[in-house]
Amino acid sequence: MLLVMVGGFVVYKGMSKDDAPSRDFTELELAAGDAEHTGTCYALSTVLVANGVFGNALRTWTAPDKDNEAKWILTLESVQQGYQGPVHEFRKFTFEQVGQQVRLTSVEASKGLPTEIDANIDGLLEAPHGMNSTPVDRCAKAGAPGYQYPPK
Amino acid sequence: MRNFLLPVMLLAACAALSGCSKEVTRQQVAEFIDHADDAARKRFAPEICELRAKNFTMHLTFHAERAREASEMEITRKLYCQQAGSFSQLRQYKLERKSIDIDMATDRRTALVTAEYVETMPYYEPDSRPATPDDFYHFQVVESVDMSIVGLEDGDVRFLSTRAEAHQTLVKKGEITLPYN
Repeated sequence: MLLVMVGGFVVYKGMSKDDAPSRDFTELELAAGDAEHTGTCYALSTVLVANGVFGNALRTWTAPDKDNEAKWILTLESVQQGYQGPVHEFRKFTFEQVGQQVRLTSVEASKGLPTEIDANIDGLLEAPHGMNSTPVDRCAKAGAPGYQYPPK
Repeated sequence: MRNFLLPVMLLAACAALSGCSKEVTRQQVAEFIDHADDAARKRFAPEICELRAKNFTMHLTFHAERAREASEMEITRKLYCQQAGSFSQLRQYKLERKSIDIDMATDRRTALVTAEYVETMPYYEPDSRPATPDDFYHFQVVESVDMSIVGLEDGDVRFLSTRAEAHQTLVKKGEITLPYN
């Protein structure tokens, strides 16, 4: 009986596990959207935390390819009250690991929200810049190159 | 001991079989809708959410009083449940069901429920940041027609999907008396 209960619990935990990237992935430095993929000096996790992981928006991580841990999609959804009534807003960020960086490779969004990589990177960096978030080790030394880093 | 075990086993088998029934009755659907309306009146998000199936979707067409065109949106259960959470912050709310029609599918596995509702609640301007729940100027009266597919999921009656068309009317705060509840 105990074996059945333990087995059932293991199966339940395995099946109910929410998808999310590993810490190894979110601890990578986020690259800017420029041609050189300049590092932003912030880990992806730092950027997400600084953005309050986007407030009350519903967050879902999905791996488009289950066998590829190097590509993740973060979907943010919310219902905004507008003068026309409730409106469903969404943003879908695709992040991919390239070497020791994580790059934002595409953005899909509902009407009226920016989908350009540069604009989204700039938007994502506003919070860590404003909060003086902790940079990655590489940028701890003065003069280390970083996109929009150090913040003005 | 054996004489005692046999009826218990038979009872358990019967219970399991009835729990696994794939058909739903009109009575079950009617009771389920009453239960769902009560959960909405309580604005208790976990209960509202529990009555929606795992793959539940809601399609809403909303005609706002101040808008030229209707807005449309389709949301999943996850987002619907999150919205139910914010719904619980309302301190004044009234839900009246004006009519209900239950149309059973021929296989009795699902039913199409068409119901007319009138909801009355505070209207907070989209760009405002209310300091208190009482910080509003209008009530919104929302008349809607909900068409829901109701069926069984894991033996329990659940909303499988809902399509709603809603018309909003704004009424000055002083013109309606709505108790706090």
